[in-house]
Amino acid sequence: MPMLALLSDYTVQNVAIGAVLLGVVSGMLGSFAVLRQQSLLGDTLAHAALPGVCIGFLIAGTRDLGWIMAGALVTSVLAALFVLALTRRTRIKTDAALGTALGLTFAAGVVLLTWIQGQSNASQGGLDTFLFGQAAATLRSDLWIMGGVTLIAVALVLCCWKQFKLVTFDPEFAGASGLPVALLEGVLTAMIALAVVVGLQMVGVVLMTSMVIAPAVAARQWAKRLEGMVVLAMGVGIVAGLSGALISASARNLATGPLIVLAATAIVLLSILFAPGRGVLWEQIRRWHDRGTIGQRQMLSTLYKLAAHHRDPEYPAEAGMLDGLYGVRTQGILRRLEQRGLVEAVEHMPGEGHHWTLTPAGREEAERVLASVSPETP
Amino acid sequence: MGIIQRLVTRHRRSAAHEPLHEPNLALHVEDLTVVYEGKPVLWDIDLNVPPGVMAAIIGPNGAGKSTLLKSVLGLVQPTAGHVCIHGHSPRIQKRRIGYVPQRSTVDWDFPTTVLDVVMMGRYGHLGWMRWPGSDERERALAALDKVQMAHLGDRQISQLSGGQQQRVFLARALVQEADVYFLDEPMAGVDATTERVVVNLLKELRDAGKTLIVVHHDLQTVRDYFDWLAIINVRVIAQGRVPDVYTGEHLRRAYGGRIALLESESFGTPRGVDAPRNDGA
Repeated sequence: MPMLALLSDYTVQNVAIGAVLLGVVSGMLGSFAVLRQQSLLGDTLAHAALPGVCIGFLIAGTRDLGWIMAGALVTSVLAALFVLALTRRTRIKTDAALGTALGLTFAAGVVLLTWIQGQSNASQGGLDTFLFGQAAATLRSDLWIMGGVTLIAVALVLCCWKQFKLVTFDPEFAGASGLPVALLEGVLTAMIALAVVVGLQMVGVVLMTSMVIAPAVAARQWAKRLEGMVVLAMGVGIVAGLSGALISASARNLATGPLIVLAATAIVLLSILFAPGRGVLWEQIRRWHDRGTIGQRQMLSTLYKLAAHHRDPEYPAEAGMLDGLYGVRTQGILRRLEQRGLVEAVEHMPGEGHHWTLTPAGREEAERVLASVSPETP
Repeated sequence: MGIIQRLVTRHRRSAAHEPLHEPNLALHVEDLTVVYEGKPVLWDIDLNVPPGVMAAIIGPNGAGKSTLLKSVLGLVQPTAGHVCIHGHSPRIQKRRIGYVPQRSTVDWDFPTTVLDVVMMGRYGHLGWMRWPGSDERERALAALDKVQMAHLGDRQISQLSGGQQQRVFLARALVQEADVYFLDEPMAGVDATTERVVVNLLKELRDAGKTLIVVHHDLQTVRDYFDWLAIINVRVIAQGRVPDVYTGEHLRRAYGGRIALLESESFGTPRGVDAPRNDGA
């Protein structure tokens, strides 16, 4: 199907709008979760949404997304409180507490799900789609609910921006300057549950955690400030959501949720490789560059010290001796220094082979190098 | 529920409604006990610091120095006892308190700039919905200038050296414009330049009438830097003016046998600037 026809399709429109909402909310809230090192809490909260989905269905009696999201939100938050209570009141560490809560809630959710499916109720069809999401089943009315939740989350973050930022960066200082740290941290955690319920329909409980983590991790690679990171994470979430939704719409029978997650993860991989400053590739180039220039800097200081020792600024150092110091790298280093005009080859005495000496520019550069490595820098 | 209840009562309570308790002291700690997992970290601490002094809190590792600061600031819930800052509970005195936590308590890879971090010192003074603006920016720049880091305002905090990190935290405390400053090991593991900047700035604040309460690790600089001293090791060993408190007897009681290592240097002539020092960080 051509792209334009695709976009005018009613179902595809719904899916695309849903994907944008999901990208906004998960990118924004995921940024705080990742920076607070609570990525795995997202996993537990997402799985804990499943029993809530079932309870919401039982209360509504039909597959009504409003009730289902409310149920999911409640059980997610309960799971968060359970984890908090375990880590605060017992000596169980966070990872064990998260694992316990995840297993407990997800098992309960699956039991409830199979029980409901065993009942002879026609409307229970497709409840298991909340495991991996079913974007194509998104209705206009579902979008209104998802949009409402997204709006609440955005409003909350805008209102409490500086408080959230300070509590995320330095909770101790936040407490000392009078912010209600426990309340703010509770709200930030509950908001991970908000992101989860927005993603129920599109991505499902099993993979939702990567929509919380991936956009934020990708954005972290590029951003220099929290403001930029949050906006960028929202952008990554939107791009991933849209591309996953459109790919699945143009090639039927491919699951949307996993495609969205794959798209987000692809962006993460690209960011980890190529982001300037933090990317792996960047890091490698810098290492190569350092290795190249460190040889040149060492050579300059060797020549400078030799000249100083012999009290001759144009002291010709024998190429063979430099070879002994720098091995096979010697020729390369000297050629690069020569290109930069810092050293020049001289004939010391006939028949004594090559000699190298510092040019005036080379002497200046050597002094700079020596000053920069001396221990006391002002 | 408990949290919301506490929040509401916190906002209702104001300085005018509470009776003054020991208003002539910058810091008054009474019967403070903190028990953690059945073990006492602080036991029956009584501590008084008059206004306008630069006070050091020293003691061996695990003596409860940081816990003392945190329970004074309300970050740790004490098992018993109470605290007053200039006559009031610290809860309603937050705007008169400045705080420099240990550097290691935050993630320095956080995506933010130096200027941003310093401006965080104003958040407690801003209303809930107000965003920091040009006024906060100017104050932050002035504070950065005082710690000789004005040129680094736009730098990522991940690119700072240890000493620069410490100076950023100090600048952040400066913009809090407090009356009582609490500093947790501000000179641990920093370069000589930073230590000089920090000490000069603290003395400047003291001369302006502020009170400074510093958890300190370096016994050899106590007499050069401070005029008030509390030695603690779970309990208070001694407190008062430095010449009265900084004695071999008190230090031995706090540090036990470990003091023998330091004794020859500590009680000789006052230490020069370049003397080697133990790194207790």
